[in-house]
Amino acid sequence: MAAQLLLNGLVTGLLLALPALALTLIFGILKFANFAVGSMLTLGAYAGYVGNVVLGWPLAAAAALAAATGALACLLSDALVFERLRERGSITLLVASMGVSLVIENICRFTFGNAALSFDIAPARPIRWQGIRINHEQIVTAAAVVVILILLHILLTASPLGRAMRAVADNPALAAVRGIERRTVARITWALTGAVLGGAGVLAGLDRAIDPLMGWNYQIPIFAAAILGGLGSPVGAVAGALMIGVAEEMSALILPTNYRQVVSFAVILVLLLFRTNGLFGAKAVRK
Amino acid sequence: MTSEPHLLPEPAPADAALHVTGLRSGYGRGGDIVCGIDLAQRPESIIAVIGPNGSGKSTFVKTIAGLLPARAGRVRVTGRDVTGLSPANRVAAGLAYVPQEANVFGTLTIRENLKLATEFLRGRAGVGPEQRARVLALFPELAARPGTLAGNLSGGQRQMLAFACALLANPEVLLLDEPSAGLSPKIVSETMEAIARVRAAGVTVLLVEQNVSAALRIADEVVVLVAGALRLRAPAGDVKPADLAGLFFGRAA
Repeated sequence: MAAQLLLNGLVTGLLLALPALALTLIFGILKFANFAVGSMLTLGAYAGYVGNVVLGWPLAAAAALAAATGALACLLSDALVFERLRERGSITLLVASMGVSLVIENICRFTFGNAALSFDIAPARPIRWQGIRINHEQIVTAAAVVVILILLHILLTASPLGRAMRAVADNPALAAVRGIERRTVARITWALTGAVLGGAGVLAGLDRAIDPLMGWNYQIPIFAAAILGGLGSPVGAVAGALMIGVAEEMSALILPTNYRQVVSFAVILVLLLFRTNGLFGAKAVRK
Repeated sequence: MTSEPHLLPEPAPADAALHVTGLRSGYGRGGDIVCGIDLAQRPESIIAVIGPNGSGKSTFVKTIAGLLPARAGRVRVTGRDVTGLSPANRVAAGLAYVPQEANVFGTLTIRENLKLATEFLRGRAGVGPEQRARVLALFPELAARPGTLAGNLSGGQRQMLAFACALLANPEVLLLDEPSAGLSPKIVSETMEAIARVRAAGVTVLLVEQNVSAALRIADEVVVLVAGALRLRAPAGDVKPADLAGLFFGRAA
């Protein structure tokens, strides 16, 4: 039982890792908490549905379509909303992102309706190993997330673009003197995080039914993960996501399962009371 | 006034390394902080810009570096007008700048800081492995531990890293905003020696300093900035720190 919950928790954590990473990267460069991460997951799931069910593509191609849609949606919301409000401060941007979230959610609702949808994939028999049940979806999710995390890690730590992103997050004025345009880096970061969120939306659509509110199920755990890891710290976001995922699943040992969201709320509450920088955050989060 | 401004014959604009004319700037909708400054600096010299707190010294260098737009006036580097250029394009035109605080990326390693010094600069001549070797020879302590996070360096080491990053762009003119700020006296004199080495390597240095005696030790000339205007320009050897009190505090002698 505990081993099964641990496995489920790790996979849930991996699923949370991508949006938590997207949230923390945007926070690092643009200095605000983007509340629209959940709705971007929803949008990605619907884009994946269009690719997989409407167009009849294989899931991988549908995920690519979802990534492109997510990137486009983030670039568009930046151009229409966030860049225009940049000088107004992080609270204004946070509230604006709630508005963006509602707009995206309702675009999905008008286009696809309220009914729960799901991908068209052949049911596969779960693997049994040492008494643990491993779903096909769990293997796909874990493998996809691990590959994407490795690629993002290489991008951030070993490429000129990653250096530029970290430089802007660290000190935008000095980055400007070094020839790194904040505007360009911000756009690239939006496109990158949008693609990550869109792709993660497809994985979320494997995990549960696709409906206009599906992103809300992930919203609080994503924020809890990013805050637990220290907002702005990519490694922290992934570690935080794994911890939240495992904690949520393991809570079934002591709590009724429909109370599992309490875990994320409790983590946020405790962090805000005692450790606002999170476990890995070096810099204080102010304003 | 203890003395009339003692003006040296300024270099003709054609051979000035840095030539600032009629420069005005300020923040937001506020009044001018820099109120019409003219300054021509001969190549390979060190000019120390001193003045009381709030006299506009930092604003003056920030405007030259392009971090603050000029409301009026021009900035020329080796004869080329850079007034309309972005901070990075000014670096590419040979005008490097080391800010007072946060002058390195603290969350990046020494190696990454050095890479970023030139990685995104477009069109600067003389940036390459030879320049890298020359610069690192000036600051051997940096090459010793490239994997260290810049944020973990001591104040003096961080200053050396900031100088090295600026010099990697092979500048004609180096703008330094209070390099001695927050350093212990021993480290201040090491920093000043490093600036003297930089000049000896052929770079023109405009040095904004609060620490007047440290600046006087290495500067060729001193200009005094009071309320956003230049009030004195003199050879460093002719200036005694004690004489400056009258100028700084506006007492008429």
